[in-house]
Amino acid sequence: MKNTRDQKSKRKTRREFLVKSAGAALAVGAFGAYPMRGYAADPVNIGGLYPVTGNLAQIGVGCVNAAKLAVEMVNDAGGIKALGGAKLNLIVSDVQSDTTVTRTETDRLISDNKLSAIHGCFASALTLIASEVAERAKVPLLTGSSSDQLNKGRHFTFTPFARASQFAEAQLQMAKLVDDKPKVAVIFENTAFGTSTSNGLRELAPTQGVEVVLFEPYSAGFTDASPLINKVKASGANALFSVSYLNDLILIVRTVKQVGLNIAINGGSGGFVIPDFYKNVGKLAEGLQGVAHWNHDMNEDAQKVNAEYKKRTGEFLFEYAGGLVAQTFMIAQALENAASTDPQKVRDAIAALDLSSGYAAMCPGGKVKFGPDGKNIHAHPVGVQWQNGDLASVFPQADARAPLIKT
Amino acid sequence: MLETLAQAVINGLLIGGIYALVSIGVTLIFGVVKIVNFAQGEFVMIGMYLSFFLATQFAVDPVVSLVITMPVLFSVGVLIQHFLIRRVLGQNDMPQIFLTFALSLLLVNLALMLFSANYRTVHTWYSDEALHLGGLYIPLAKLFAFALAMVLSAALWAFLHTTDLGKAMRAAAQNREVAQLMGINPNRVFCVALGVALALAGAAGSLLMPFYPAYPLVGQVFVLMAFVAVVLGTLGNILGALVASLMMGVAESLGIQFIGADSGLIVVFLMLLLTLALRPSGLAGGRAR
Repeated sequence: MKNTRDQKSKRKTRREFLVKSAGAALAVGAFGAYPMRGYAADPVNIGGLYPVTGNLAQIGVGCVNAAKLAVEMVNDAGGIKALGGAKLNLIVSDVQSDTTVTRTETDRLISDNKLSAIHGCFASALTLIASEVAERAKVPLLTGSSSDQLNKGRHFTFTPFARASQFAEAQLQMAKLVDDKPKVAVIFENTAFGTSTSNGLRELAPTQGVEVVLFEPYSAGFTDASPLINKVKASGANALFSVSYLNDLILIVRTVKQVGLNIAINGGSGGFVIPDFYKNVGKLAEGLQGVAHWNHDMNEDAQKVNAEYKKRTGEFLFEYAGGLVAQTFMIAQALENAASTDPQKVRDAIAALDLSSGYAAMCPGGKVKFGPDGKNIHAHPVGVQWQNGDLASVFPQADARAPLIKT
Repeated sequence: MLETLAQAVINGLLIGGIYALVSIGVTLIFGVVKIVNFAQGEFVMIGMYLSFFLATQFAVDPVVSLVITMPVLFSVGVLIQHFLIRRVLGQNDMPQIFLTFALSLLLVNLALMLFSANYRTVHTWYSDEALHLGGLYIPLAKLFAFALAMVLSAALWAFLHTTDLGKAMRAAAQNREVAQLMGINPNRVFCVALGVALALAGAAGSLLMPFYPAYPLVGQVFVLMAFVAVVLGTLGNILGALVASLMMGVAESLGIQFIGADSGLIVVFLMLLLTLALRPSGLAGGRAR
């Protein structure tokens, strides 16, 4: 495939070639793929694997912006002191929202560069593959992906944030903030993502004292949410969990408003807690709840990074991007402790981290210490709510930075 | 229970009005020009993006933007007939099928390139408002869309039955050779048919914009239902397509309400298969009008 494309392009005109190569040069420059030179100590290479093209690109581009900001912050603060002030050099690779590309790009990134550590992918399907490749190459990988599978039989993979299984629990507990006797309607698209997430919710519900009064799969990409919301209304639910992608969720939120249904909506995580959601739904998003593994109002450090990120991109620092800044500082701290760029030694230093302050500890609970399965033993999700176009942490009590607004 | 049923029927009728605008366009083109326009959904998409940009750049209400999207798409239809479809009309079916299919792929991918896959929404004062009648509610945006869809359908009906050009179109639909012998210029009639059909798609786009997000693949969501309605209502029959669209909207809504939210389409296609088994040429029988 790639060969035929190359051959074709040879036949194209010179102008096209010039335009394209200028574009390529711009793209490479923009993603900082050139190693920086001219420092006293040799720079330390860390890899970043993110989809900046394809259907996951929206989140991926934000992650790359945050990753660059984080590296700048480390370098401006004097780099890695134990390595003679060595600067971090971020090498970003585009995994194109595609599992096959992820495999080859991860492989290429590791074999072409002397890497000390990698962070990346956020999307579970891509991260699982990148993690396999990194394990084989014995390079430590930190990720914001929440897949529980990443904590099974792996030695070089570290997950500083809440796991998927914890998200369902938090979501159910949030329902109790709205009503003492939550009656929840779970509606979900009938895909692998929708089914597995909602099954998790249904299984956990009894243990959390939450009654599920409607459990309804729907075909994704419908023309009209009214019949579905009609069902929710008939079920007598006082809370609605919608496991949906953006398009359906927009229709669902609008229809709930039209029906005049007074129900607390929890949209979960992922596409629901990024700035783009508010752009599309506007004021209707106000008061909607969700869960995230990171939020920018957690502490002063997070707010500081958020302010800088906002200045650069015009948007607030969303969970994946923010978590990624913390991950970069975790890697920097591990390099500091290991006083070596050897990936094996960096891996051991990450495994031994025990942090409770600074940018590296910038996560819900404010503590980082990895268990033998690579899970941060202190990690938990935060419940968030859209308030005035921003995401406010409202749950649990210890992490709440704003009171929950009842809708 | 009765209230839930009534609400389900209302929901179905309202969305059925939008299906009708798309399917009438398809059936008109098929009836008059005798080709299947696979790109009809993409013209709805173009109508939506036009409305979106008129709304965001010039603060034109999406429903009002009908007066711009309809003439624009009418012209596009005339151009497509004159420069593309006319060339393949003498050929067999394959070039015709591939022409509109290629057009569909081209438009989707152009839209992806120009507008990216992001969802675009327009928020109007009536986007989230509804009329409440007892326990029932009627969303305003959909009510406007439904009402205007019915007005446009009636106008088309009047045009086809009272004007010379409309009668010429029906004549060409019934028998192309005889119509030509009567002095009707087929290309002119076909140009108008394409123009009107695409104008209806543009109208559908404008009417959808207040309550449905625009994205490059949005046409395909609606065109599937439109094709079912066209077959169900007898190919080429405008009234048939209208009635079938409303029926399908209601069937889908009832299916979701009383069987399961993932079975709306099952009910619709079951209805299609049953109809075809009992009346192979569709609800309106053999009469193409």
